[in-house]
Amino acid sequence: MKKIILAAALAALSSPALAASTDAGKYQVVLGDCEGCHGKNLAGGVVLTTPFGKMVTPNITPDKDTGIGNYSAEDFRQAMKAGLAPGGKLLYPAMPYPSYARMSDGDVAALWGYLKTVKPVKNQVNVNQLRFPFNLRFAMRGWNMLFFAPAPYANNPAKSAAWNRGAYLVSGAGHCGACHTPKNAFGADKATALTGAALQGWFAPDLTSDAGAGLGSWSQADIVEYLQTGRNNRSMASGPMAEAVENSTSKMTDADLKAIAVYLKDLPASRGNGGGATGIEAQMKSGAVLYDISCAACHDRNGKGSLIFPPLAGNPTVRQVRADSIVRMVLAGGKGAATAKAPTGPGMPSFAWRLSDNQVADILTYVRNNWGNRAPAVSPETVGRIRSSLHGS
Amino acid sequence: MIALELALKLAANKNRIAGVDFMQHDPRALSRRRLLASVAAVPILAASADGRTISGELPWSPFAGEPPRPVNPLGWYFFTPGEAATVEAIVDRFIPGDHLSPGGKDSGCAVFIDRQLAGSFGQSSRLYTKGPFMPGLPTQGYQGDLTPAGRYRLGLWALNDYTNTTYKKDFRALGIDQQDAVLGGLDGGKIKLKLKPGFSTKEFFELMLQNTMEGFFADPLYGGNKNMASWKMIGFPGARYDYRDHIDKHNQPYPKGPVSIYGQV
Repeated sequence: MKKIILAAALAALSSPALAASTDAGKYQVVLGDCEGCHGKNLAGGVVLTTPFGKMVTPNITPDKDTGIGNYSAEDFRQAMKAGLAPGGKLLYPAMPYPSYARMSDGDVAALWGYLKTVKPVKNQVNVNQLRFPFNLRFAMRGWNMLFFAPAPYANNPAKSAAWNRGAYLVSGAGHCGACHTPKNAFGADKATALTGAALQGWFAPDLTSDAGAGLGSWSQADIVEYLQTGRNNRSMASGPMAEAVENSTSKMTDADLKAIAVYLKDLPASRGNGGGATGIEAQMKSGAVLYDISCAACHDRNGKGSLIFPPLAGNPTVRQVRADSIVRMVLAGGKGAATAKAPTGPGMPSFAWRLSDNQVADILTYVRNNWGNRAPAVSPETVGRIRSSLHGS
Repeated sequence: MIALELALKLAANKNRIAGVDFMQHDPRALSRRRLLASVAAVPILAASADGRTISGELPWSPFAGEPPRPVNPLGWYFFTPGEAATVEAIVDRFIPGDHLSPGGKDSGCAVFIDRQLAGSFGQSSRLYTKGPFMPGLPTQGYQGDLTPAGRYRLGLWALNDYTNTTYKKDFRALGIDQQDAVLGGLDGGKIKLKLKPGFSTKEFFELMLQNTMEGFFADPLYGGNKNMASWKMIGFPGARYDYRDHIDKHNQPYPKGPVSIYGQV
């Protein structure tokens, strides 16, 4: 069995035979989660909020006027791997070309082969709504010089085929780092890959093997189950990750999910989440009372959760260095992924109407430092800031 | 839990079949055409296959919910100051303060009634209130043309008219014993206030008693039941929603205090 998986992984990694088939190209859409930004019909128009202003995703259907119907295969390859559109127009790295640059030419060609067959949709999009000076596209030339070193994925002969396939997917088409890798002031990846990052009002968790914030306690099977169904016994995807699970990871092959798990489990532990908080006795006491009346019925008195209610004890989402995601979930509510294997897509109600900033801070400090969890305290100011940013958007 | 998941799925599917969505803001909200089309589809679905997977998920949107808004505890929205003082005196006789609980006034019963009369209850906005006005059975409730707000306005005027005629004082200025005698007279039929045909003195008394109890026992967000005093008195746990730890503990008092809808403990 293992041999078959390895063989399949190798075949998928370098197979010009598959490149022509649109099925293979369609699978690249899954791997790259194109729908996540370009919409279900790939006609774009999805608004992305970045620290530099708003961007609207372009139409990538083969419509000749408003899509990419006039692209050649080489034009497409340049856009995917060099961030260059026809006519020398520079793309913004919100399109994750720094990741896609690692894809094989065969996979990019397969993707192009499929995109040509998609139904053309007429949808004119005004992509660039960034603030000055970020709206000046030529500035991306400097950005590329500083931060973009395109290099196809290089096989690591010291590692297994599955590991290499996992690394190829995570760093390439899957562009996991787009959310999970911390960014510098210019929005470029820092060297601390996949150690967790704040974006769009969420905190994408640490994916390294750190025992506190990362996936240190997860097995490979846990990771596969999470990516396939959107949940496992330790956590549940929500927000942008729930979308990524629905559009992308739940549709990946078992072999690819296993490969991703193999690779992630081999990432060295990050520096952690800053550890537990001290001097929080008052918050813990108040948090315990509030947890009992607002949270315990679903998440369980001992934070163990159940099938459709995620556990809080040992849940990495709860233990990140920043609490943005869980503050947001308490205030606005949350929505899990609905996948073929877990179709419910359970939701959490909003508590913004009922809990004050102080109460949310107390509950979350309690949750982050109870049942074996250790993470920094949450302040009412943080909750207030997130509350007003959510209502402002 | 599996049962719950199934139930949720069923609910989602049922709503999908019927074309009904939970969220009002949903652009797919029910239209007449859609309802007719989907109702027409139901027998076809039922008649055709043995098993059918209908996929879909529960609708969800951030900050969803229509929580009840807590009343502003200050001032009067419907009563004049004189009416308010009369009602405060009445609710304090219905529920006198003692070692078990604060009285009706301190519990906020008059505030509760005032806010209800200023709102949709006071205007009968959910009831048909046009003529013809026919006498009904007692079980059918009030059948006349007055809204609850109108009945209070008339009733409170008639009450003070009666006490001024009889005692030369407003009701609120009477001694406790006199107040009890008047209220007893309204209830027992000895006193007939100058009301309207179809609105008896007894009905006015019962309306006030009913609303006072509602204010005393309703969630504090509606203006009465201040500090959940009535719930503490009778041991009602309020808006708690998880008793699994106590299901097997028969004949033991529930150890936890009440919780209000807004999470007050």
